[in-house]
Amino acid sequence: MILDWNSVWSNLGMLVDGLGVTVQISILSFLGALPLSLVAALSRRSRWIPIRLVAATYVEIFRNTPALVQMFFIFFALPSFGIRLDAIVAGVVALALNIGAYMSEAMRAGIQSVPNGQIEAAASLGLNGRQTFTRVVFPQALRNVYPAIVNLLVATILASSLLSTIAVPELTGTATVINSRTLRTFEVFAVVTVMYVVLTNTASSLLDLLGRFFLPKERYA
Amino acid sequence: MTELEGDRAGSNGANRDIVVVSHVYKKFGATAVLRDVSMRVCTGEVVVIIGPSGSGKSTLLRSVNGLERIDAGEIWVDGIPVHRRKNLRQVRTRLGMIFQQFNLFPHLTALDNLTLAPNLVLKHSRTEANEEAMALLDRVGLKDKARAYPGQLSGGQQQRVAIARALAMKPAVMLFDEVTSALDPELVGEVLNVMRGLARDGMTMVVVTHEMAFARDVADRVVFMDAGVFVEEGPPGTIFTSPADPRTKQFLRRVLEK
Amino acid sequence: MDWPVVWESRGILLHGFAVTLELSAIAIVGGGIVGLVVAVIRFARVPVVGPILRVYINIGRGTPLLMQLFFIFFGFPYFGINIDAFAAAVIALVAYTGAYVAEIVRSGLESVHRGQRDAALSLGLSFPQMMRRVVIPQAGIVALPPLVGLFIGVIKDTSLTTIIGYNELMNVSQSIVARAPNAIFTVYVVLAALYFIVCYPLSLLASRLERRALVGQQR
Repeated sequence: MILDWNSVWSNLGMLVDGLGVTVQISILSFLGALPLSLVAALSRRSRWIPIRLVAATYVEIFRNTPALVQMFFIFFALPSFGIRLDAIVAGVVALALNIGAYMSEAMRAGIQSVPNGQIEAAASLGLNGRQTFTRVVFPQALRNVYPAIVNLLVATILASSLLSTIAVPELTGTATVINSRTLRTFEVFAVVTVMYVVLTNTASSLLDLLGRFFLPKERYA
Repeated sequence: MTELEGDRAGSNGANRDIVVVSHVYKKFGATAVLRDVSMRVCTGEVVVIIGPSGSGKSTLLRSVNGLERIDAGEIWVDGIPVHRRKNLRQVRTRLGMIFQQFNLFPHLTALDNLTLAPNLVLKHSRTEANEEAMALLDRVGLKDKARAYPGQLSGGQQQRVAIARALAMKPAVMLFDEVTSALDPELVGEVLNVMRGLARDGMTMVVVTHEMAFARDVADRVVFMDAGVFVEEGPPGTIFTSPADPRTKQFLRRVLEK
Repeated sequence: MDWPVVWESRGILLHGFAVTLELSAIAIVGGGIVGLVVAVIRFARVPVVGPILRVYINIGRGTPLLMQLFFIFFGFPYFGINIDAFAAAVIALVAYTGAYVAEIVRSGLESVHRGQRDAALSLGLSFPQMMRRVVIPQAGIVALPPLVGLFIGVIKDTSLTTIIGYNELMNVSQSIVARAPNAIFTVYVVLAALYFIVCYPLSLLASRLERRALVGQQR
């Protein structure tokens, strides 16, 4: 049994296309999750109970049920209510909601981790609530939460593979298609493994670099 | 037999050189932290090492224990070559080390901190270890804190427990690495008193400290170390009142002015 | 809402639920052991094996579980080893979980202050004794909340094994829907609820453990 890499090279174009779809899905879902998570995090800290309840319900449901179930629900069950979405749209929406729930918890923790003393100091200086949040709390919360956000981007990339189950031609789905065509299982999946590892490592290293540039650790006198 | 091999034989007399440091060099990256350091400690001796921060005092102590690897030279503890790094566990049972940061095990009570090593290393039974531990806690004045956790103890109490923990292994030599530097001033005294007691009882001690009064009272020999070298050594009387080297004079002037 | 359909199928639903829990338990225990061993080996800086394990961790954490499932399910027969969905599911889940456990445990081990190791070694403890009695107990407190979070994820991830035909809860639900397509909404609600009643209490536990770990860290 010899390994034959040619069958993979001849399908490389298809794999790269699949990688492209993976990247698109990941970016769209991630960008969708960001504002959603911020709204949810702030809502959970709101003074109004109904708002807190809605946000909490959203977060807990999407964190404690499988993403696959969520995606199948949106794609297969919603049509009963007349909401018929394309596979890729359904997938992106499901991922955004799913990742958004985890992200909102990370954001909430980041905001909470800013010491009360900061808020007290801002108040003593005369800043109002909005100024305190935007100029004092949020920048520090962002610094605290950044590593978790980077991890969640990686999680999004990995979760994009779920869309293969509803026939979206992203990387994992493409791999299975090529596998059934060429039957060169090990070769195909080995290449795809490398592609995912490179993708996730690159994404996280890039974001780490960005973070070090824009959000430098405080320097103490 | 060379002189070193004679020490190696770990002679029969009660008065022997139990720690021998010979021409030791150590670098951290590009910086030389120990430069041709040599020292002998005789049983029952109390040697106090003083000097500015960064002079290599801690590194020297940690090298004797094998916690730091030396680049050149030899270190012998009770006839065992530390520099060969083959019998470090054996070496460490002869030595007791007390750290600036106490390093008590936070998940164990004071008593369990004391009995852990005798139980695991010396293979003492639970009851035997417990009995000895209680006696040691009594000796450092903390019998009533046996079941307390380190988090519930003050810094001075933690350090005294740390001393008792080291004593539980019946070391031949005890190494003290700036053990009072992290303590609030009013807690320093209780720890120094325990150390005084140990010296009185004949324990061989190598102490790195900034407490000059303690050095003057308790040391048999004081060593001034600077930039990785032993600058001067002698009895406390001589070093403190009429130091020979200008560097020693300068250091003592700065420190004693506080 | 089509409750009668669900009610009729309660037997197989509960059976699927049990299968899910069983698979989760195997993955958690297996992955936990693998991860712990890998983490300790890497912590001890063992040459050759350590770096190889690093590659394992990178692959386990850098590729999707679904892809790993496919790789194993289709890959073993490729090399002549016949493998059923259950075996593939177990191997993939244990390997995947192990990689994540290894990272969490490593982080926990490194959070224990160096001085603790110095003190233990100075007292004459051997490396295994030091790890078992001093480092791991302290690392455990720090590592426990993220580990619980990971295990919750494992329970949910077992749903992916339906894709390779393993008959756990998700798979059972899909077959119910196949027979009674109109009941799809109800079935999925019940499906989600079943996962929820297991995962939610665990996530509350994880929060509680996290608060306790934070308190312990304020020395």
